[in-house]
Formats: sequence, structure tokens, C-alpha cells
Amino acid sequence: MLTMLAKLLKALNSESAPGQVALAFALAVLAGLTPLLSFHNLLVLLLAFIIRVNLSAFFLGVAFFSGLAYLIDPFSIRLGESLLNNPGLADTWTQMYQSDFWRMTAFNNTLTLGGFVIGLVAFIPVFVVARLFVSMYREKLLAWFEKLKIAQVLKASKFYSLYKSLAD
Amino acid sequence: MKQWIRWSGLAGFIITVGLLTVFFLFAAGPLIKSSIEHFGSQAAGAKVSVNDVSLNLSPLGITVTGLEVADAEKPMENLLQFDSAIAELELAPLLLGKGIVRDLSVENLQFNSSRQESGHLEVTEEQVEEEMSQPQAEEPAGSIVNIPTADEILAREPLKTEQAGKALQDSFASHKKAISEATAQVPDGKQLDQYQSELKALLANDIKSLDDFKQRKKQLDKLKKQFKKDKSAIAAARQAISAGRKDISEKLTVLKSAPGDDISTIKSKYQLDAAGASNLSALLFGDEAGQWAEKALYWYEKIKPYLASEEDGAESEQSSEPSRTAGRFVHFPSDNPWPEFLVRRANMSAPAMDGYLKIEALDITHQQALLNRPARIVIQGQQLTNIEDLNIDITLDHRNAPGRDSATLNIKDWAVSDVDLGVAGSRLTSALVQVQGLALLSADTLQAKADAQVRKADFAGDGGTQFAKELNLALAKIDTFDINAKASGKLSSPEIELGSDLDRKLNRAFQQRLKEKQDQLEKKLQARLDEKVQSYLGGQSDDLKQLNQLDGSLDEKTDQLQQMASSKLKDYEAQQKAKAKAKAKKKQDKLKKKAEDKLKKLF
Repeated sequence: MLTMLAKLLKALNSESAPGQVALAFALAVLAGLTPLLSFHNLLVLLLAFIIRVNLSAFFLGVAFFSGLAYLIDPFSIRLGESLLNNPGLADTWTQMYQSDFWRMTAFNNTLTLGGFVIGLVAFIPVFVVARLFVSMYREKLLAWFEKLKIAQVLKASKFYSLYKSLAD
Repeated sequence: MKQWIRWSGLAGFIITVGLLTVFFLFAAGPLIKSSIEHFGSQAAGAKVSVNDVSLNLSPLGITVTGLEVADAEKPMENLLQFDSAIAELELAPLLLGKGIVRDLSVENLQFNSSRQESGHLEVTEEQVEEEMSQPQAEEPAGSIVNIPTADEILAREPLKTEQAGKALQDSFASHKKAISEATAQVPDGKQLDQYQSELKALLANDIKSLDDFKQRKKQLDKLKKQFKKDKSAIAAARQAISAGRKDISEKLTVLKSAPGDDISTIKSKYQLDAAGASNLSALLFGDEAGQWAEKALYWYEKIKPYLASEEDGAESEQSSEPSRTAGRFVHFPSDNPWPEFLVRRANMSAPAMDGYLKIEALDITHQQALLNRPARIVIQGQQLTNIEDLNIDITLDHRNAPGRDSATLNIKDWAVSDVDLGVAGSRLTSALVQVQGLALLSADTLQAKADAQVRKADFAGDGGTQFAKELNLALAKIDTFDINAKASGKLSSPEIELGSDLDRKLNRAFQQRLKEKQDQLEKKLQARLDEKVQSYLGGQSDDLKQLNQLDGSLDEKTDQLQQMASSKLKDYEAQQKAKAKAKAKKKQDKLKKKAEDKLKKLF
């Protein structure tokens, strides 16, 4: 856990573009809010690997949003139910249901569809907010943070030396 | 700005997914094997073992070799076993955790084969010996009705009589201990005699002085204190006896009524249920057909819980809360729906009558409403020695509630030999039989009909009575006859009607013989249960009498102590006063006499 946090800080403070860290978080939303062992998450994982996003931020994001999903799941399921039972979409779903590929994605599962739609809606806002946060952190918060006494105490800690060793 | 595509990441992805796949390939076989053994044992209530499970990649599927499912009731037999089963799985549904078997082929499926070791989940040596000896206790050969013997039933069934008997014994042992401890505190006859003599010594002689009175009073108080203590001990003993007697009497009442309860339970289970139906078919169509009917009913009872109809399924779905990982699958019209579990086609071969049965099953699933097709099982006899053609077609339709199951049976040229008719020693030595049967089952209500046309019938009989001779003569003239059977009502207790154009007396004799057999069995059961009750009652009834006697003797002792405790020491002062009074009176009488004498002398 310490290593993971150290890696995140390293990612936040590294020369990775803020967009790369933010995109990792945005991808993590898609994976975290839907059942982990889903076919679409294999594609999300593939994207995380081949797009130059920060993997530590991605995995930490997945862990964070999976935890958050326990709170959001009831809404996801309700949204999935309403979408799948929407008469206006019935033809689309029926057509998709005829294809093995689409069924393999479990699109007709209320939690998967609801979670995925919420993830998609949240994708851009999470990306924007995360990007702003990383930039802000590097420009303002980092200098302010380093001045704090607690930061100086932390710098003297084992965790900081671990962080430094990873950073170097 | 850095390049956005990371090609090395693709390699990392491939390695990660590859490692996971390899791990799955290696772990899948052992995992499936242990799952079959674990959950299979739970479902069957007996050992389920598998030699090996391997995963095939092309086509994707699993091969299960050497599966044995032990019979929970006869642990030295397998309910079923097969040499190998190859299941071809569909990949896409499997990724969603749905087991859809495209094709299942089972080789050498066998029922009721013997086992080398007991199939009990928890087995002791005594049980093994008991099971090994069970076949020897079967009814003598030639019996037409395969109703289990009284001993077999009693060994198989959990009896209330035994439970009540043990409860009585336990209760008696615990109360006996309590009563013994309580009665040990009660004074015996010798002690009471001693109290009497001590009391007599205290009360008999005159009190000589005030000190003597005080001394006696002290001793009497001491005795009274002891009497009080003894009375308390007696009260405690009586309480223990009373509690014991009440508890034992209650348990005795339960024990006495237990055999009746056992008999009615056993009757309802063995008289007119599936076993009863199979016995009747055994009577009509021979032992083999009877066994098949028994097997069919057994397996129907086993699979029934999984044949939930639409209504039941909807209820259970609504009652369960959606979990984090589940959600709910919404299904849409499709030619290829994916239930949670489905066997699209299964082919099995099972040895029978020197040939084999070819069994083909289609669309086996517990979610028929989703598949919108009923399950179908077709059984065909191949190279059977005594049957030219055997065809059974079963349809299990549980798409809507209530479910509707049907079965048709066709047997062509069944060479029947040596069938005991059960009347006056008559036997059907040979015949060629055609059978057509139809059974419909809906909402647990059975409607079944079977017709048999018996041709080229040849009878024999060695009955010695006049009736038997007459009957055999009559039968000798019969070459063809028809038998029909109907069953209707609840599956667990159908009403069975038998009809035949054979002499009506034969029909009546069938019924009578069945009834006799049942009556005999009931009598035997009653006798065995009575023996059990007696074995539990044996010592206890005498002991109960002893308890009553003990209670009576305690009453006597209480009276005696009561009487003794009421004894009082004479008051010393009163005694002195009485003495003075007597002395004064004596003096007065003397003076009076003297005065009278003087008066007499004067006149």
C-alpha cells in the first residue's frame, strides 16, 4: 500500500503529463463502476496498457471507484433496469441480443449497463477534474504542501525515502 | 509532448492475459473435479467420486472420466456411474459464467452397479457390515410383490418408538438417581423404632423434679427438631418421586402411542406411493418393468426441484436482493437464448437386458421459460434380448406454471416369460406382449394409462386346490388377453385401477393378494414395534411399581413422625398440684369418715 501511494505521488509529481494521469483515472471509472470480470473491462485494460497513461493511477483509480461502486450500485441497477425496459430502446436491445459479441459484454445486465452508462457520463468530467487537480497540485499545492510542517515530518519518514527511491 | 501509444504495454497486456489463461487451464480441471465431488455429494447425500476431469481446448469442453454416485440408501451400490462424459461448451456464454453444453455424450451409463467400498459420507465398520448383510434379509425368491420386509423398513426408517424408548430410559435413569439421593436422607424403620423407644423413655415415668422436667424437655425438643428435619427429607423425597412419576408417565404415554404413529408414517410412505405403483407394474409387466418404473419415479423426484415453472422462478427472483456483482439479466426474444445452465443435446448409452438403452436428451435446463422449449428425453432400446422395440418419449414442459410433464411408452414384441400371476400358483410361462402407455403429470396430479396386449400366452400352474385346478384349466384355453392399468391422483398417492379381460376373479385375486401382502406387512411391523416397546418397558414397569410402593411407605413414615412429634411432656407444676390436691382430698375424706363415725356413735 505504501509502495502504491508512493507510486501515485511519484506519478503526480513526475513528468507525466497531467492529461495522462487524468486519463488513467477516467478509464478507471469505467472499470470500477461495472462488475470487474466483464468483457468490456478487458478492453479498458487493453486501452490502459497501450495508451501511455499512468498505470499506477489507473489501478489505484480502479480500486477507489470499485469501493465507491458499492454506494452507486443501487442507482446503477435502477438506471440499467429503466434503460433495458425502455420500450423505445427495445428494438435496439433485441437486435444487439441476437449477437453473441454484444451478449458477451453482458449489456443486458442491469448493473453492467447502468454502471457503464454512469462511467461514460462521468468519463469527461473525471478527466477534466483530475487534469485540473494534477495541474493545480503541481503549480500551487505542491509548493504550499512542502512548506507545511507535516510535509517536512513526512519527508523524514520511511515512506518518503521509499518514494524517493522509486522516483530516482 | 510524449507519444501517446505505448507498444510495450500491448506486450504487457498479452503476457498478463496469457498468464491468467494458463493459470485457468491448469486450475480448471482440479477445480471442476472437486466441485463435482463436493456439491454432488451434498446433493446425493452419498459419496460422489470422479477419476479425472480434463479441459479440452478444441472444441472447448471438459471430459469427466469415471464418475460414481453412491446410493445414499444402499451405500454398497452406485445410483449411477459412467465411464466417461464429454461436454462441449460454448465459449461466449462461459465468459458470462453460463454453462451451456452444446453436446454431451456419456459412455456406459449404469444404474445400481455394485461398489467396492461404502458410499456413506461418514461410515463406520458396523454400518458396512450391516449393509453387506442387507441383501440376505430379502424376501424369498418367487415373491411377486417387492414391498420391503418389515425388518428392512424398520432398519431404514427413523422410528418414533425408538426415540421415545430411549427418552424413557434416560428420564428413568436421571430420576432414579435423584430419588435415591433424596430417599437416602429419609429415616428407615430401625431409626423410627429408636425414636419410639426414646420417646417412651421420656414420657413414661413420673417427673421427679424441676431439673428432671427441664432435662426431659430438652431431649424432647431435640427429638422434635430431628422429626422436623426428617419430615423435610420425606417431603423432598416425595417431591422427587412425584416429579419422576409425572415425567416417566408422560414419556410412557408417548412411548405407547409411538408405534401407532410409526405405523401410519410407514404406511403412508410404503403403501400407495411411488413404490406401490412400481410394485403394481411389477405385478402386471414383470419385475424388470417394475424396477424401471421405480427408477423413473426416483429420478423424477430427484430432478423435480430443478424443474421450476415460470411462476416459481419469478417469485424466487423477486425475493432475492440484487448483489454488487450480480445485477439482473434482462432477456429479449431470441432464437438462441442463454440460460444459466443448458444442455442442448445429450447422448447416453446404458447397458440393459444384454443390449443397451440409447438415451437422447434435448434442451435440459432449469430455465425453460427463457429457452421457450420443453426438455425432451427419448429412450430407445437397442439389441435388447427380450424386447424387439422399446421407445419412451418424455417431455418436461415447465415454461408456464403449472408444469406439464408427459411420457409415452411403446414396447413391441416383449417376450415375457415366467410371470407369477399371484393366484393359486398360476404362472404365465411365455407370451408376446405389446405395451402402450401414456402418463401426464401436471400440478403434481398424475393421469396415467397403460395397455398391454398379451398374445401367444402360455400358462402353467401347480396349485393343488380345486379352485387352482379349475383356474389352470380355464387359463389353458386362453391364448390372448388384454391388460390395462390406470393411475390418477396425486403422484405421491395415486389411485390405481387395474382392468383385464381375463376372468374377473383374476383381477379380484390381484387386489386381494396385494391387500394380504400389505396386511401381513402391517402385522409384522406392529409386532416388531410392540417388541421394541416391550424391550423399553421391560424393567421400567417394575421400577414404576417400586416407586409407588416407596411413595406409600413414605406416607406411613410421615404419619408416624407426625404422631411422635405431637407427644407432650407433662407439666411439672401441674403434676405437683395434682399430687397436693389428691393428698388434700385423701385427708378430707379421712376427716369426713372420722366425723361420720363419731355421729354414728352419738345416735
